[in-house]
Amino acid sequence: MHKRKKKRILHGRIDAFSVFIYITLGLWGLIILYPFYNAILISMVSQYEYLNTPFMLFPKNIDLTAYNVLLQGNRLLVGYRTTLIILLLGVPLNMFLTIGMAYPLSRNRFPGQKMIFYFVVFSMLFSGGLIPLYLVVRNLGLTNNILAIILITGINTFYLILMKNYFSSIPVSLEESAKIDGANDLYILFVIMLPLAKPILATVLLFYTVDRWNEWFYPMIFLRNRNMIPLQMILRNIVFETTSNEIADAAVGYRVQVFSDGIKMAAITLTMTPIMIVYPFVQKYFMKGIMLGSVKG
Amino acid sequence: MKVEGRKLAKSKTALDFKKGKDIIKDIRKAKYLYLLLLPGIIYYIVFHYFPMGGVIIAFKEYKANLGILGSPWIGLKNYSFVFKDPAFFNALKNTLVISVQRLIFQFPFPVIIALFFNEIRDGVYKRVLQTVFTFPHFLSWVIVAGILVNFMSFNGALNNIAELLGFERKSFLSDVNLFRPMLYITENWKNAGWQSIIYLAAITSISQEQYEAAEIDGCSRFKKMIFVTIPNIQNTIIILFILAVGRIMNAGFEQIFNMQNPAVKDISDILDTYIYRITFMGPADFSFSTAIGLFKSIINFILITATDRIAKGFGEEGLF
Repeated sequence: MHKRKKKRILHGRIDAFSVFIYITLGLWGLIILYPFYNAILISMVSQYEYLNTPFMLFPKNIDLTAYNVLLQGNRLLVGYRTTLIILLLGVPLNMFLTIGMAYPLSRNRFPGQKMIFYFVVFSMLFSGGLIPLYLVVRNLGLTNNILAIILITGINTFYLILMKNYFSSIPVSLEESAKIDGANDLYILFVIMLPLAKPILATVLLFYTVDRWNEWFYPMIFLRNRNMIPLQMILRNIVFETTSNEIADAAVGYRVQVFSDGIKMAAITLTMTPIMIVYPFVQKYFMKGIMLGSVKG
Repeated sequence: MKVEGRKLAKSKTALDFKKGKDIIKDIRKAKYLYLLLLPGIIYYIVFHYFPMGGVIIAFKEYKANLGILGSPWIGLKNYSFVFKDPAFFNALKNTLVISVQRLIFQFPFPVIIALFFNEIRDGVYKRVLQTVFTFPHFLSWVIVAGILVNFMSFNGALNNIAELLGFERKSFLSDVNLFRPMLYITENWKNAGWQSIIYLAAITSISQEQYEAAEIDGCSRFKKMIFVTIPNIQNTIIILFILAVGRIMNAGFEQIFNMQNPAVKDISDILDTYIYRITFMGPADFSFSTAIGLFKSIINFILITATDRIAKGFGEEGLF
């Protein structure tokens, strides 16, 4: 990481306003953190303690029943497994398709380049809507097939544009000298361009990964097989049921009396923990991606 | 203010392709580029352009056994049903009202966060805050709604705190007067930190000299923010505002779908949730649903292209 010039925008003036700012932002930070903390707490206490403690800051007794119950059933397992399949098949496909289009579109030296670019951009402006998409998937025989989920979100046009802009900023001279040495476009892309594009590749890879992890809408529409449902959908089924039996059915696969809120919060915790752990380490890639995108318009 | 225009369109080399025989040579020279593009193009054709063609069932009476091509044409009859449907107008009204209210109440928040955030010195506090602020953006609304619905439930933590402070308990999410404001607040809770980054990026490009000049004039921190920072990011704010206007037909489906409940359905049903409901929850009339979807897509298209053009008039490239 190159060193950025440290910006001292305001020269150490501590007036009432800066105190106000520090406190306000800190408050907002707490407002964001507390519901998460609260959710995790609920997942770790007994129903009794939950009902009798109005304002919980620390649990009196840690009770991991909710987690035990969840891990006894196979719903979470199905969810994690399906989501991992989606990730392992989907993200490489995303990268392959996106790079495959981003690089050529960043070079304006072949017929139809502009047309193809407009072709791609137009898809961001107009959409056929949900039902026509549903009909296309059905006609392809892909309803209730995990491939539908993997293919529908094959390219995110916004990320494509982001990557294309980055490739555009790589000097043409590199290509020209490679071409003089007899290299073809594939060689140039894989051996020269991709290593230089590592920042944007990392960023887009992370964006796609997060999107895949969070996918729930298309699975909800297209997948019906109880054993092939992604994590977010399992979670959705758990969280949006209201009776204890239904919740248990969604959470573990059979009906049993459970501490509803505890199970819900435990399921939520298990779903968001991977992101919570990984996020601080990859945060800078996301920020760089947005900065690159906004600066280049 | 100059309109920059697209880099590609003006280059002279683009024109060289029009020279007859040379096209074939250029195509052959670039054959690997076409190869690279092919899978992506197929993707767009199958999953974006085929569905675009499928909208013709908005003008047909779609029957599953006849298929898209076999179903009979009925012209605009579907629309006469749509425009007589009170639920449609309710959804349309909600979509517009919610979007406008978002522009007024929700939009400024990321700007304010960016302005405040800029005043904090670099350091641990700033970095921790940034992580906390931007983190919820990367969670799905399924997770966030799950957490917040519980948090704001009648017996949930928020009400518990309110009661401890002497206020009375409220049904934040099932009260028709509170639901929409809660939508805007929770949307900011999730995304304002992330959205503020764009403004922050703009702020960091403001030259120090302006601040030093203001300092010499004796400006307080607050005054510097008002008279130096804000005018400099004015363009960014305007452009993002215009682009947001272009999206008013999408009032936030993911959030509303996950936070909606029957008690507030009438005031929170937007076009997208309405389309979803009539298609997947109950006897589906595909033609009817597609007609509504097409209506929304056309208006969307007009709005987005128009506002993008207006945004370009303010000196930026917009999105395209």
